[in-house]
Amino acid sequence: MNRRCLPALVLLLLVAVQAAAAEGIPGDADGDRVLTRAEYVAAALAYMIGDNDLARADIQDAAQVYAFWDGRPREITDSTGKTVTLYRPLRRVVIFAGESLETLRSLGFDMEKVVAVDKYSHAKNTFFPECREMGNVGSIWSPDMERVLILRPDTVFLYATISTAACDDIQNRLEASSPGIRVLRFDCFKPATYPDEIRTIASIIGKEERGEEFAAFYESTMDRIRDGAAGIPDDERTRVYFEYWFDYTTVAASAGYNEKTEIAGGTNPFATGTAEYPVVDPEAILVANPEVVIKLAGQGLAVGGYAGHDIAALDAIRSDMLGRPGWSGISAVKDGRVYVIHSDILGGAQHFIGTAYLAKWFYPDRFADLDPHAIHQRYLTDFQGIDFDLASEGTFVYP
Amino acid sequence: MITLPANRLLCIALLLMVVPVAVSGAPVTRTLSTAEPGAGEAFTVSLSIEDVALGGVVETLPAGYAFAETDHPADRILVRGQKIAFAVMNDTRIAYSVRAPASGSGDITGRWEDFIGEVDGAIPASHVAVDGIETAAESGGASPVAQEAASPFAVLAAIAGILIAAGRGGRR
Repeated sequence: MNRRCLPALVLLLLVAVQAAAAEGIPGDADGDRVLTRAEYVAAALAYMIGDNDLARADIQDAAQVYAFWDGRPREITDSTGKTVTLYRPLRRVVIFAGESLETLRSLGFDMEKVVAVDKYSHAKNTFFPECREMGNVGSIWSPDMERVLILRPDTVFLYATISTAACDDIQNRLEASSPGIRVLRFDCFKPATYPDEIRTIASIIGKEERGEEFAAFYESTMDRIRDGAAGIPDDERTRVYFEYWFDYTTVAASAGYNEKTEIAGGTNPFATGTAEYPVVDPEAILVANPEVVIKLAGQGLAVGGYAGHDIAALDAIRSDMLGRPGWSGISAVKDGRVYVIHSDILGGAQHFIGTAYLAKWFYPDRFADLDPHAIHQRYLTDFQGIDFDLASEGTFVYP
Repeated sequence: MITLPANRLLCIALLLMVVPVAVSGAPVTRTLSTAEPGAGEAFTVSLSIEDVALGGVVETLPAGYAFAETDHPADRILVRGQKIAFAVMNDTRIAYSVRAPASGSGDITGRWEDFIGEVDGAIPASHVAVDGIETAAESGGASPVAQEAASPFAVLAAIAGILIAAGRGGRR
């Protein structure tokens, strides 16, 4: 045999084995897609006595299907609207979407079952320390498909509604080469869909109770913000200039940051426009005379956020803005309402924390009892389960 | 190449890691109504189980000893030769009886698995001897307590021995 063909053949065999392993509920002796009590017990006894029809992972999967899914396949609909039938729980997971990874951790998923992550999550040593030990499969724009297949995942997570061409391409390649791999697509960063996504993912991993607890925590924060901002007449809404990472680049109506600004009760004078992140004329900002300025920090994970306790860096960003020509006449500057916020808490699964800060900055009186810092700490301690003390670690907002 | 001090440190670390596991913390423990049954007498084996929602236990009886009966549901037990498998479904106790042979001694050994928690382990061996009389081929003269921890310690001792021997060889 040609030696150059050998690696490809091994890879194909591995993929074929994986694909075969993913079909049907293990222990479902009559193949009727229902693992009855009798079938489960027979499988468990045969395994324990040493009849090796099922491997250890098989009987563990059977037990979990019996215990958490009532012995039946679980049908779930992901955020693309596609229905996926699961015959086994997730055991070897590859995640290209960091927000899904974070949500899985919030829900108490066994992170040892995550075999590889995207390069951005892999690089977040402080927030995802466990990812250092996992494989790195690149990004959705430059995926390392060979590594994905070598890792023999049973499930791959992709984004649902952003970078759809790149994610579609990955999904198509996986489905063509390894139909046994389940592709699940979620966003986990959009306020409109996140609660449902929490519950769906919780259902997938058999953590429904935990999912309800986390969804309730998330919804209590977002509902508090929505309720607090409700009823404010349009002409009384706080006028906000939201500046993206890059100078004089703002957010339009289609951008997620604009949605969060509006949920917090702000109004964006630059919301109209076709580009998601339009560049604005500096003069136009002076004319708009915003009451509050929000500057997003965190480009390239370089400054603040979970990467470091670097207040000076955020202060420098703010000082640069205050020194811009003509800005001394802007209401936001005169009133001391120019704020820097890190994208770690506004752009991804933690957007509810950042949105709480926005609401408090926009309407200090209406949200006097809202404590974003406490919400953030509870999220990290109770749901993320990481030892991170906001009093001394990280920098997320300034001032 | 690992040096001799490194070997010793490794051995100590291995012992420190495994000793607590060997002597405590197992969710399944076994007690016997008697460890010295009379010839042909039935005695009770009780398994105490903690926090295993779905799992299994398999017991292996010494040669000549025979499974007699159990209070465990009949559809959740499988007997094959000297092995008895129990399917565990939130059970906290399983009792079964064993009939002793005319003579003979040996160990009842066992293994448990928690399929949901995805952990497993050995149940410390329980020594039995008809009328307390040891049969040399099977008992080997070891006490039950020593045998309970024999498996992990034997492995560790072997590892330690090999490493120390290798270290000494290297110094020569």
